[in-house]
Amino acid sequence: MVTLEKMPDVISTPSIPPATEAPQKAQIEIKDFEFAYGENRVLHSVNLQILPRAVTAFIGPSGCGKTTLLRCINRMNDLVDSARVERGEILIDGININAPEIDVVDLRRRVGMVFQKSNPFPKSIYDNIAYGLRVAGVTKRSRINEAVETSLRSAALWDEVKDRLDRSGLSLSGGQQQRLCIARALAVEPEIILMDEPCSALDPIATARIEELIHELKTQYTIVIVTHNMQQASRCSDFTGFFYLGNLVEFANTAKIFSNPTRRQTEDYITGRFG
Amino acid sequence: MIAHGKNATGSMPQRIVFWCLRIATYFVLACATYIFLDITIKGSRAVFITHPPFVNFAFLSQAPETLYVFDYEGKKTTMGDREFREWKTTHQIDDANVTSVAYSAGGIWPCIVGTALLVIGSMTFALLVGISSAIYLSEYSRNGRLVRLVRIAILNLAGVPSIVFGLFGFGLFVIFFGWNVSLLAGWFTLGLMVLPAIITASEESLRAVPQGLREGSLALGATQWQTIRKNVLPYALPGILTSSILGIARVAGETAPIMFTAAYAVRDTMPWNVSKWSEFPFQGVMALPYHIYVVSSKIPQNEYTARVQYGAAFVFLALVMLIALSSVLLRQRVRMRLQW
Amino acid sequence: MNGSTVTVTSPPAAHKVAARGGRTGEALIRLFFGGNAIIAVVVLVLITLFLFREGFGFFGGNLQNLRVYRSGGLEYVDIIRDQADANSALSRALSDVRVKELRGLMQKGRSLDEANGDLGAFDQFATAFSDAGTDLAGLVSDLTDQAAAVKEQTMLGSGAASVGPEDGETPSVTPAVAATVESIRASYPDYERITATMSEALRNLLANPPALTTPLAQEAFNRVNEKTREYLAAFPAQAERLRAWDPAKPVRWHQAITAFLFDQRWITASFWQDWYGIVPLLVGSIMVSIVALILAVPFGVASAIYVSEIATRPEQRLIKPYIEFIAAIPSVVLGFFGIAVVGQAIRTASESTWFHWVSFFPLSERLNVFTAGALLGLMAVPTIFTLSEDALRNVPRGFKEASYALGANRLQTIGRVIVPASLSGIMSAILLGLGRVIGETMVVLLCAGNRIAIPDFTQGLGAFFQPVHTMTGIIAQEMGEVVRGSIHYRALFMVGLVLFALTLLINLAAQRIAARYRMSIG
Ligand SMILES: Nc1ncnc2c1ncn2[C@@H]1O[C@H](COP(=O)(O)OP(=O)(O)OP(=O)(O)O)[C@@H](O)[C@H]1O
Ligand SMILES: [Mg+2]
Repeated sequence: MVTLEKMPDVISTPSIPPATEAPQKAQIEIKDFEFAYGENRVLHSVNLQILPRAVTAFIGPSGCGKTTLLRCINRMNDLVDSARVERGEILIDGININAPEIDVVDLRRRVGMVFQKSNPFPKSIYDNIAYGLRVAGVTKRSRINEAVETSLRSAALWDEVKDRLDRSGLSLSGGQQQRLCIARALAVEPEIILMDEPCSALDPIATARIEELIHELKTQYTIVIVTHNMQQASRCSDFTGFFYLGNLVEFANTAKIFSNPTRRQTEDYITGRFG
Repeated sequence: MIAHGKNATGSMPQRIVFWCLRIATYFVLACATYIFLDITIKGSRAVFITHPPFVNFAFLSQAPETLYVFDYEGKKTTMGDREFREWKTTHQIDDANVTSVAYSAGGIWPCIVGTALLVIGSMTFALLVGISSAIYLSEYSRNGRLVRLVRIAILNLAGVPSIVFGLFGFGLFVIFFGWNVSLLAGWFTLGLMVLPAIITASEESLRAVPQGLREGSLALGATQWQTIRKNVLPYALPGILTSSILGIARVAGETAPIMFTAAYAVRDTMPWNVSKWSEFPFQGVMALPYHIYVVSSKIPQNEYTARVQYGAAFVFLALVMLIALSSVLLRQRVRMRLQW
Repeated sequence: MNGSTVTVTSPPAAHKVAARGGRTGEALIRLFFGGNAIIAVVVLVLITLFLFREGFGFFGGNLQNLRVYRSGGLEYVDIIRDQADANSALSRALSDVRVKELRGLMQKGRSLDEANGDLGAFDQFATAFSDAGTDLAGLVSDLTDQAAAVKEQTMLGSGAASVGPEDGETPSVTPAVAATVESIRASYPDYERITATMSEALRNLLANPPALTTPLAQEAFNRVNEKTREYLAAFPAQAERLRAWDPAKPVRWHQAITAFLFDQRWITASFWQDWYGIVPLLVGSIMVSIVALILAVPFGVASAIYVSEIATRPEQRLIKPYIEFIAAIPSVVLGFFGIAVVGQAIRTASESTWFHWVSFFPLSERLNVFTAGALLGLMAVPTIFTLSEDALRNVPRGFKEASYALGANRLQTIGRVIVPASLSGIMSAILLGLGRVIGETMVVLLCAGNRIAIPDFTQGLGAFFQPVHTMTGIIAQEMGEVVRGSIHYRALFMVGLVLFALTLLINLAAQRIAARYRMSIG
């Protein structure tokens, strides 16, 4: 068994990932970001850049701060009383999202989120999808109908539910509920989609569907996904970041991370020697 | 064989102690049952009759009157005030032989109306303010010093005796605001009195709505108010309303706060007989609990007064118990339905 | 894995979020809810404020009231009155002796007429005894008329509510008042003469006591004899007090407060002197609460233990809502039930032969501390039950399981683990029950008998079967009839303030204990 001592900060700050393609402008830029719940510092000086129209995966052992970072990107942590940004910033398209003049509501519309535990509203399937549009002020029936259909199709759920759109979202199976949540997020046409372990409660078939879906969505959206499943990360992501105890240990091309990680800890983790 | 669980017979001392506890419990229930039965049986005589339509609508639909008792042609005769005056125009009777008993004829209609008005107004006020406060406490507030203060205030307000609320309402609404004895003063006094209970119940229901619904909604770009209105309140409302029904029972049942803020012992005009509608909230009313107080303390206990005393107590108890019963039943249903 | 065609929505580049004016709207909404939440605080502050506002003038008014009492000579008259009243009290004690003797004689087989005849000598003695006080009573009555007249004048002149002289403790006295006070004091020689005759008469009487045959009566008579001697011995001191009495002696401001807190009289709307002492009301409230808790605590806690630990599921489902139901019974209905049924039932029971051994039975009053306390006890049971049951239920399963694992039976587990673990929760429940009981109005107003007097504690437990008045009851009864702004009105608000403070303290204590409970069970 390998024991890991705490990483010094210097090491946890990787350089910009070596891009294989032509250098592209990052859409999300996380700079020297530190975050705490009360006294409990959860993220230590995280630096990382997320490219548009790509899938970026966060991996790491439980409790290392993946969800926390993800929730920081659309400021979901505002809901937590004790949560506090200690240092650093998160830029989306070059704008600091924690700046006081930022409208969180607007930010969240641009950055959609799918939660680990699927949370459809106790409303009909139709209303679940229409919700985001309605709160954005869309009232035109035809436009909502259209959005419901396209997003359900995008989420590969249309064929299964098209005859029972008025049934409660809670009447669907777990996998369907998660896809409903994805469809719900797609309906408001965000630019970025954050997914927190979207497949953790699903069987292999449902998981495969969602992976396939992620693959499709990649052409349109920037996707950040948290996963505990190494195969999933290697199968569907372009970049992977490995977190450990609140530090970003390594961030690189997925192929590189899984074939030739630079850090021992990363290798130990992905080969299952700890965690 | 190992005896275990609730079916274990246990040792002798254990059985004795358990029986004592059981007897104590059932004794309490028996006392309450005796009260219910006594008032129901004696009160039914005023409210129900033996021939169709079986309900004595006169008692429910007339105003209280003075009862006159006298001997006429060797027969003991009793008459209500109006009837007696009419009768006197055609008959000769020596006033000296007539005894009058206040409140004991007629019915309790104005009191029922007054209580209904008081309950409706004060619950509207209390629900508006109470639900709003609860929304603030559960949805908006961070655990700051102000919120702690509010919570302490709510806890302590819940323990303030109702007569102190009466004094307060009298000092503030009746005198300082100059509303006199009025519905308005009663609404606010009673409303403030149940406020802590409503806030507590509402907050509990709001907190029972899973956090995932709020996060899901916010993540879709809904504002906080949209989230609350569309995704929190609708699911909390059934719970809020059912727990608030107990508040109705409390508001309807309290006497002390309305004694000097809203209730009159006698009032001849019905509340809707006002010259201008704007005067409506500024009039006092008769109220059932106050009427019961008046008839049980200001007039003697005898065969002539028992009808109105027990009748009013029975009608009132039945009303309040129905409200409480519906609360208990509804709450069980809501709990069953809202399993997240 | 395909089967479903995946079409992707139009590119998000088209997405332009219009700036919505929602932010100020949201802020306003937040402000609105926050404002509502503050109402609870505001109301609590306002209650305090208004009780103070209305009650505040009380002390000034009461001080004025006390000053008039002294400067108008009423105090002087009351010193003499006490002396006269003491004589009448002794006379009454003598009639008790007579009753005892009469009973004794009849038990010895004498008929009523014979016995009355035997008592001739005693009656002569008793008549002479009370006659000795006649002159003193006459003097008191004369002086009372004078002082009352002058009091009326001063109160009219200065206005009952307004506080008189601002220059502190020396009351300004009008010439008319001064003249009356002088004439009252001028009666001192009369007083000396009357008391001298009186004490001589009494001494002579005591020297020749009537013969009594029953030991019980003799014993009682000896007590009266003893008391009369003490009474006579106090005469010089009494005279000294009168001589030393000074209408100009200042009444200090704090006496208005001590009079409120410690005076044992609550006398209002009297032609003579009003007293606003909270003690009889406080004692009444406390006694009623004691009875209520003595009844409610065992029953409330027992049923809580029964329901949470022993009862079967169906029983629980029946008992819990039923007890909640009891909580919903309007207090005025309970009060009515007390008047109509309970009071009479208690008195009838006290007359039954079963209870002959109880010294203070049969009861003369059907509405008394016990009647009100019993009903309030029933009202407090639901409060105590519900909260105790919560506390018992919240004892972690682990405690219970550990106890069973060590071989304890259910009784031992309940008695040694569950109840001790939830004891502070139960304590807090009891305190909240006490808060409810002490603040309850209608039941005590209807059933406590409404006599403003401290019960006679020499009767022991019998004191709990005497009528009392309570703080809540007095407010409810007198508030409707007082003149707004008068001392009486303000005194009632002060009583409200005391009640408010008391319940607040009880509540805070309950919260403290409840917090400790939550900590102890982790
Ligand atoms: N709301 C919260 N309040 C306080 N501490 C929190 C909160 N949420 C998470 N934490 C703490 O922050 C740390 C990181 O939690 P986070 O949920 O980000 O982990 P994670 O990497 O997503 O773990 P998992 O893989 O189990 O989901 C943990 O130590 C956790 O205890
Ligand atoms: Mg997580």
